[in-house]
Amino acid sequence: MKSSAKTTLKLALLVVFVVLGTTATTMAQNARIQTSQLEALAAKASETVDVNLDEKLLALAGGFLGNDPDDRKVREIVSGLKGIYVKSFEFETEGMYSAADLESIRSQLRNASWTRIVNVSSKKEGSVEVYLMQTGSQIGGLALLATDPKEITVVNIVGPVDLAKLSQMEGNFGIPELGIDKPKVKKN
Amino acid sequence: MKEDYLWDRSGEPDPEIQQLEEILGTLRYQPRELEIPADLEVGRKRNFFRMFTPALAIAAAIALLLLGVGVWFALQRLQTSPRRELAKNPAIPTVSPNQSPANVKELVVNPDHRETPVEMPHASGDNQSVATTIKHRNRHTTVRSTVDESQLAANRQEAQAAKDQLFLALRLTSMKLNYAQRKTQGPNIKENQHRIG
Repeated sequence: MKSSAKTTLKLALLVVFVVLGTTATTMAQNARIQTSQLEALAAKASETVDVNLDEKLLALAGGFLGNDPDDRKVREIVSGLKGIYVKSFEFETEGMYSAADLESIRSQLRNASWTRIVNVSSKKEGSVEVYLMQTGSQIGGLALLATDPKEITVVNIVGPVDLAKLSQMEGNFGIPELGIDKPKVKKN
Repeated sequence: MKEDYLWDRSGEPDPEIQQLEEILGTLRYQPRELEIPADLEVGRKRNFFRMFTPALAIAAAIALLLLGVGVWFALQRLQTSPRRELAKNPAIPTVSPNQSPANVKELVVNPDHRETPVEMPHASGDNQSVATTIKHRNRHTTVRSTVDESQLAANRQEAQAAKDQLFLALRLTSMKLNYAQRKTQGPNIKENQHRIG
């Protein structure tokens, strides 16, 4: 009787630890990165973009989308996402920010859960780094860090991101597609 | 051989030892039955906590488990979508962009104590239908509930702002991703692909 009570107690404690452990792990695997350290740059920037859309606001915006193709495309991209956060600073002159300003972002992305899939570096046009967080077979989040001498952009998307669909967004909503690499069509 | 008596009581008895035997013999073990006093209540004065330790431990573990599950659900509830909240709160109807607040400000409640879905006149399609159900508790009164128009307008503004922010964020992300994609693919690769195509 006494041993069975002990076994039950051990099992109950095990279940408690598993539940608490799962909660902690889930919270730890959150793809949200902190960008508040960059806010100091807003004072120096000539143009600032700050987008903070959590799950509630995304759902609110999603409910406001219509039925035209663009809106449907956006709805597809947004469904399942937990948040979209963008911080972009544009400066009048070069040298308004330093590598130390970006270190707070980079240090978070050095975490083992993030994988850098793209790293484009150009002195003229700036650099773009794209990081993905994998949760199992799914993408758990995306982080994009784009810098050039006069601009910093940090994008953080939390949730399953479809990169293919996302990259198709350019050219929609009245914004012209750059089309640099599009093939030239010969007119007959 | 006097000593033999001391060891195994054989041989000639020693008077001294015999005297000692007589004196100490009164104290020797005498078997008798255990007598439990009638007024003694067995097990009554045991420590409560010692008695129920396993049960208390199990109860504490279950309580911890429930606490953990409770925290989990509380966290989940914090992240519920506003659509669910709107569904829970009948005072705030779902509004689609094509509908004016005037169309949805009146919610008719049936006095027959029945739930009455009210379809708004210009609604069509899943996203545009505004059907609100209100359960009324008072049978004898007809209530014409008016949703605060300014609240509705504020909700619309918030949703529109969220939508604009969403589009801006997606555009920016898409631009940067495409730039990275173009750079990683390179112009030569593209040109060759076109020739092949």
